[in-house]
Amino acid sequence: MPLFRSKTRITGLACVLSGLLCTLPVIADQVLIAHPSVGESEVSLNTTRLVFSMQLGQWPNGTRTRVFVLPDDSQVHRAFTKDLLSLYPRQLRRVWDRQLYSGTGQAPETVADETEMRHRVATTPGAIGYLSSEMIDDRVHVLKIR
Amino acid sequence: MWLSLLLAPVPPALAADPGSDLQVHGFATQGYVNTTDNRFFGDSEDGSFDFTELGVNASYKATPSVLFSGQLLSRSAGDMYDGSPTVDYALVDWNIVNTEEYAYGIMLGRIKNTLGLYNDTRDVAFTRPGIFLPQQIYFDTVRNLLLSADGVHLYGRFYTDLGSVAVNFGAGSNPVDQNVETSYLGADFPGGMDSDGVSFIARAEYETHDGAWRMALSGAKATLAFDSRYPSLIGSGEIDLLYWVASLQYNAERWAVTAEYMEEPVDFDGFGDPVDDRDSTVQGYYLQGSYLMRNDLELVVRYSEGFADKDDRSGRKMSANSGGWAPPHSFYQKDWVLGLRWDVTPNFMLRAEYQWADGTWTLSRRENPVPGDTEKNWEMFSLLGSYRF
Repeated sequence: MPLFRSKTRITGLACVLSGLLCTLPVIADQVLIAHPSVGESEVSLNTTRLVFSMQLGQWPNGTRTRVFVLPDDSQVHRAFTKDLLSLYPRQLRRVWDRQLYSGTGQAPETVADETEMRHRVATTPGAIGYLSSEMIDDRVHVLKIR
Repeated sequence: MWLSLLLAPVPPALAADPGSDLQVHGFATQGYVNTTDNRFFGDSEDGSFDFTELGVNASYKATPSVLFSGQLLSRSAGDMYDGSPTVDYALVDWNIVNTEEYAYGIMLGRIKNTLGLYNDTRDVAFTRPGIFLPQQIYFDTVRNLLLSADGVHLYGRFYTDLGSVAVNFGAGSNPVDQNVETSYLGADFPGGMDSDGVSFIARAEYETHDGAWRMALSGAKATLAFDSRYPSLIGSGEIDLLYWVASLQYNAERWAVTAEYMEEPVDFDGFGDPVDDRDSTVQGYYLQGSYLMRNDLELVVRYSEGFADKDDRSGRKMSANSGGWAPPHSFYQKDWVLGLRWDVTPNFMLRAEYQWADGTWTLSRRENPVPGDTEKNWEMFSLLGSYRF
């Protein structure tokens, strides 16, 4: 966490230095991202939780959900789970394990790092994942949680 | 022509990662048990490594709503389980409706019984709160009876503003093995035991959206039929049992508190005296606290009590019924457990645990055939390493 807080401060400083070009302060360090085929620009918090709990198999337009996550001990994963989903990483893990080892569901796909996350979400129809805000580029579609 | 096929661009359907439709996962666990007295999972008084759990599962999502899955399990646990591979579950799950408000579906095949908070994944060390589940509720001696059933399950999930509610109801037949027979009859009598008719299972669970509060009520009803053969000392008869568990858990960021309460009325019928007089209500409960000292280091403390008959908590009446063959302490068990879990990596875990016990009720009669030879107060130290993929 301290790592990300300090990044926010650096971004803030950059904003001051670049003057009026930068008007929006960075609110969240992690951003929800999806493949454009998902066809949504906003999702509710509960829907996001259901998708990351592997309990919602398809998007409203019928595209199948593909969930990508970083390893449990990744700082970005911890921060995303806590700040955006308001869950603890252990709770997500408990839900995944229970489904996976009782044959009632599948596990999300774990990617090694944020570069792989961005690549996989950008190239997999129906994909959802998350990135640190500075990793975002135009290959991925940003989803707002409402 | 073959060449042109090879050179043709890969169709998008094939280009999509097939790994997310078909998944293969598994786990490997090795334990070590050392007891001051009594046998638990092998010759534990000398230190036993006779506790190994291996599992591999595959699942295939044919469509967004149809899932096929199966798991093979090999479990060695002292004299009770010899590691022969078994089909842990093999099912097809048709999630008929799945929306943001509710979902329901049907499962067919061999399905794990959702009893308490832990039964359906009880052999996966990563999902347990300790090296061993609290034996007063999750008996290892009759685990196969409660583990799974071959049949059908209907389930529904409802997402409300206050949280989610999940319910399921199942019917099927339960496997019965020698451990079950020995546990309920007290010895291996000539004859065979099998489940009689259909067994039922039901569960309702409520969870808040943030996963902080979880509460569940679950139960299973089954009938066991014993077919006596000469020269058995007891006649043929039936055992009706109803096993139910109430569960409550609170999860904070760094700590969690869990409590579960179980009762199991057991009704013996047709065996003749004195077996028919053994009707009793088995009772077990525990309170557990866990604290995350570091993100990879968890401390767990648990206190559990269990009784063969909740109306005879000292075990004296049951001991007298056995003519003194089984001492009172073999009909109850109260224990403290202190444990540490270290997640070395997300896929590899080490655990160490110490248990102080008064009473020997949860010990297997197959491992400790003469109850009078067991020590009332005993301690256990155990270690476990588990890898998953």
